Amino acid sequence: MTTPSTTSSGVATPPVPQGAGNPTGTPVLAPTRSTQAKDGGSSSGSLGTFGVKSGLAQMLKGGVIMDVINAEQARIAEEAGACAVMALERVPADIRANGGVARMSDPKMIKEIVDAVTIPVMAKVRIGHFVEAQILQAIGIDYIDESEVLSPADEEHHINKHAYKVPFVCGARNLGEALRRISEGAAFIRTKGEAGTGNVVEAVRHQRAVMSEIRKASVMSEEELYAYAKDIQAPFHLLKETARTKRLPVVNFAAGGIATPADAALMMQLGCDGVFVGSGIFHVSSGDPAKRARAIVQAVTHHNNPKILAEISEDIGEAMVGITITDEMKGGRMASRGW
Amino acid sequence: MSQPRRSEAVTVGILALQGAFVEHQAILQKLSLRTRLHVVLVRTPEDLQQCDALIIPGGESTTIALLARLAGLLGPLREFVRVKPVWGTCAGAILLAQSIEGAKKGGQELLGGISVTVQRNGWGSQVESFEAPLEVEGMRDHERPFHGVFIRAPVILSLHPSPSDPPIQIVSRISASLLPRTQTLVPLDEDDTDPRDPRTIVALRQGRHLLSTFHPELTKDDRFHEYFVRECVLPSVA
Repeated sequence: MTTPSTTSSGVATPPVPQGAGNPTGTPVLAPTRSTQAKDGGSSSGSLGTFGVKSGLAQMLKGGVIMDVINAEQARIAEEAGACAVMALERVPADIRANGGVARMSDPKMIKEIVDAVTIPVMAKVRIGHFVEAQILQAIGIDYIDESEVLSPADEEHHINKHAYKVPFVCGARNLGEALRRISEGAAFIRTKGEAGTGNVVEAVRHQRAVMSEIRKASVMSEEELYAYAKDIQAPFHLLKETARTKRLPVVNFAAGGIATPADAALMMQLGCDGVFVGSGIFHVSSGDPAKRARAIVQAVTHHNNPKILAEISEDIGEAMVGITITDEMKGGRMASRGW
Repeated sequence: MSQPRRSEAVTVGILALQGAFVEHQAILQKLSLRTRLHVVLVRTPEDLQQCDALIIPGGESTTIALLARLAGLLGPLREFVRVKPVWGTCAGAILLAQSIEGAKKGGQELLGGISVTVQRNGWGSQVESFEAPLEVEGMRDHERPFHGVFIRAPVILSLHPSPSDPPIQIVSRISASLLPRTQTLVPLDEDDTDPRDPRTIVALRQGRHLLSTFHPELTKDDRFHEYFVRECVLPSVA
């Protein structure tokens, strides 16, 4: 069908949804479609537009996306209130522990998860591995994560995500990285955090960096924005839009190290729109994953209500064993992958 | 959320458990109406008590239903739907349906309120999500098409109002050519191009309730929100 929102002048401005974690932010909505006026009352429908790609991310807001490695875990996640699941063969904590090259999961295993649940199913591809992305689109996955958790396939280029009907989410450590990914077609951004560590410190660092850079940009003159765009290596038009609306042009979730309901609420209060939980639910030594999953789901909804947060944090068993983040840790720093 | 209730204002709640509730809030707050609208994000039974009407946003219907139960909102919501105007978009439409196909394994909780059966994810996965222009009956400037954004949208399979129910009024249909190509669950006798095929209905009203399978909150067009307030909310508080 139509090329997703790519115009002759480059990339169309993506929609600017208002964050669930930022109720006072500037409300912004789906992009004005240039096709809209032209279509008139005709019966044509447009598939794979940026509007439906970023729109699905907007529907996920205020929700928790959980890593699952089989249909059984996917069902537990759905029952616990996950708004989507991420299908992968090994959770990040195991990828770290096992080492070696981590790749896209077996499509058969992903399809089993798709068949088991009614909520959206996401899956990861390696950075720059556009054929893994073609495969996932062909099996009808709902969202692709071009993820630093897997071993990068290209150390210079990311996937041209405009070329796909299926939407992409990408990780970012700062505003420049987020806007570069959006200009490549990402319809959804998440912090990178440090996956598989159970340590929220990097996710906090990345979210604070993004928010602080947005605040800085929001008071800049146009001349300063040109210089700042060069400085953070971001496309000027996306930076200008971000500065005007005081938030990222697409939905922004927290990811990488979230292990407890309090971690999830922390990220929401720092302005995230929702939360990915990777190893934190099913990679626990004791306790009931379903209970922990449900508590994190509730924590995201009630992130501003400490009384409810206290109730749901009670008696959910021990969180995953966290590790201190150093350059020498097993698996190294995944967040530094991506360019 | 604790602003004092103004007696002359109408309070419209938006169920804010999960999903795209902030987008609805933004459009409602910008509507220019003679009646003042007070918008409340509903997360607890106390929030709901303040409301004269409610919008249930898009999101994941399974997640919203679970969070409603955990927040003690399921009972109060069902009671609310019985007596006050409610508009459900997408996931909200699923929750307002009397019955659904494609529920999660083991079934899922609904609020009911509108005598329809809908199919969840009626078009299939995200790669089938689409945008299309719509004609909406009774909307301001109705000759100007409304931009319909359909995201993993539900499909209305059948209408079955009982004689004691308020009649169902069709508000908008899409062209039959946009119907799911791969839908196999409900073989309909009629020709696919029959304009009366219930699957072409994308918005309808029953009494004071409104249902849309698409997302007016993802556009900059406030006409659908204005329609809900004018046609469903204001007459019920007058």
